[in-house]
Amino acid sequence: MPVIEVERLHKQYGRVTAVDEVSFAVEEGEIFGILGPNGAGKTTTVECISGLRAPDRGAVRVLGMDPVGDRDELRQRVGVQLQEAGLPDKLKVRETMQLFASFYRDPAEIDPLLERLGLADKAQARYKKLSGGQKQRLAIALALVGRPDVVVLDELTTGLDPHARRETWELVEQVRDAGVTVLLVTHFMEEAERLCDRLALIDRGRVVAVDTPAGLAERTGGQRMRFRPSSPIEDAELLALPEVDSLTRHGQQLELAGGANLVQAVTSLLARRQIIAVGLRIEQSSLDDAFISLTDHGKEN
Amino acid sequence: MSTMSVSTVPASARPSGRLTLARFRALMGMHAKLIRREPGGALIVLIPVLLLVVFGCIPGTKKPEASLGGRSVLDVYVPTIAAMVPLFIACTGLPGLMAAFRERNALRRFAVSPVPAGAMLAALVAVLSAMAAFGVALVLGLGLGVFGAKAPSNPGAVISSFVLGFTAVMAVGMIAAALATTSGMANGLGMPFMFLNFFFSGLYVPVAQLPHVFQTIGEYVPFGAVMDSWSGEGALWQHLAVLAGYTVLGSLVSAKLFRWE
Repeated sequence: MPVIEVERLHKQYGRVTAVDEVSFAVEEGEIFGILGPNGAGKTTTVECISGLRAPDRGAVRVLGMDPVGDRDELRQRVGVQLQEAGLPDKLKVRETMQLFASFYRDPAEIDPLLERLGLADKAQARYKKLSGGQKQRLAIALALVGRPDVVVLDELTTGLDPHARRETWELVEQVRDAGVTVLLVTHFMEEAERLCDRLALIDRGRVVAVDTPAGLAERTGGQRMRFRPSSPIEDAELLALPEVDSLTRHGQQLELAGGANLVQAVTSLLARRQIIAVGLRIEQSSLDDAFISLTDHGKEN
Repeated sequence: MSTMSVSTVPASARPSGRLTLARFRALMGMHAKLIRREPGGALIVLIPVLLLVVFGCIPGTKKPEASLGGRSVLDVYVPTIAAMVPLFIACTGLPGLMAAFRERNALRRFAVSPVPAGAMLAALVAVLSAMAAFGVALVLGLGLGVFGAKAPSNPGAVISSFVLGFTAVMAVGMIAAALATTSGMANGLGMPFMFLNFFFSGLYVPVAQLPHVFQTIGEYVPFGAVMDSWSGEGALWQHLAVLAGYTVLGSLVSAKLFRWE
């Protein structure tokens, strides 16, 4: 049974439709990403899953519960880190952890948790004195202090420097490895590619694709290669290959784009002609390309 | 044996109850710590106490004055100074502390925790009420007990009007707390109401020396009404009705306006 099930979720604020028709299912023990440009409806989706908002239409089940109706039980079992939710400046790290731990029926031990998140030496520090990365780690710690089955992490690394971001990613992987299902909301491609087992791409309130990061990247077709042939070769000969979609010449250099088997098809043709591909460069299309092409596609409709 | 049986109860069989006494106490503890760390926190009680000590140590303040209806300056100022405590708390404390949470978007953090966000607010009101009771009792105790100011003739009226006066200004302060997104805005909203109350409670000029029209207006300002029930001016029921009116109206408006984000 999926841990989180979202079915045809619809939510609007006044006349603005924030979430139009969103469906996906998150399986136990995975890191599931919700990826989309700003304003795509990610946060509203998360707020419906967290029970902060009631959907206008559609159904949301988390651990088999209705987030709004079974709010009390849900709060005990789902840890949520909301975008930009901070704490009063003068609260200290450890006492904040103790306070939130007291809300749960079976809380985690605080000191080992702070240790794990690299906050042990900041236990007595006030919130105001923490760096951006430390604040985010405290947010994760607070989401974990109730020993949840599921954690929801919304825009976790926004505003962090690359080093702190990488550290936070490692933490999220540790959380998943400890058996907690993670729902990760992000607009960072690199983050989604690195962390997510599967992800839903959301654009303008709709899910445009649900797949693994690699699966999404493949959908846009695959490969691009550039080289300088050691002896001349006709354009027509290359274009005759079914794998080649386009060919551009930049002086002596050739640029070819095509499907997943482009490189193999072209190199074997060159080998038969005894031509060497000098300065060969190959680019695999990335999640970035998928993101652009899939969300662009959404705009044409 | 008993520990054994506790640990064998499955987690889901234990109550997930949103607000237990222990959780409420933990929230109160948080607020108490935050108030203690606020530079103005201690001043809420210290300023009135110091003011009272100054008044009490000036020799002339204990003489009955004809212009004050035969009461001494100290007699008149003890309730006025006591009123500063609930006014500081309701007009700057409550909105400022709420703004500190809202400023950092911390209310959302509580909204996704197992305690309802309202409990956080209730705990804050509980802590502030305890502080107000302590501060007023301290000022009155010092004023009447140590410096020998004349006790009011009707203690029941005084106690009920102080309690209702506190709920009245808290309800109005809650409107500021409901709206203020920054501590600056909290002060901006709360301070004018505080100074209005200071004025009509006779902090700047004793009420008895105010022009008659101001005295009449003062009956309809919360701590003006409280001062009147202390000195026995006017009808007690009218003062209590004014205070109850502020409480009800302020609560309704703030409940309507309150933003959790």
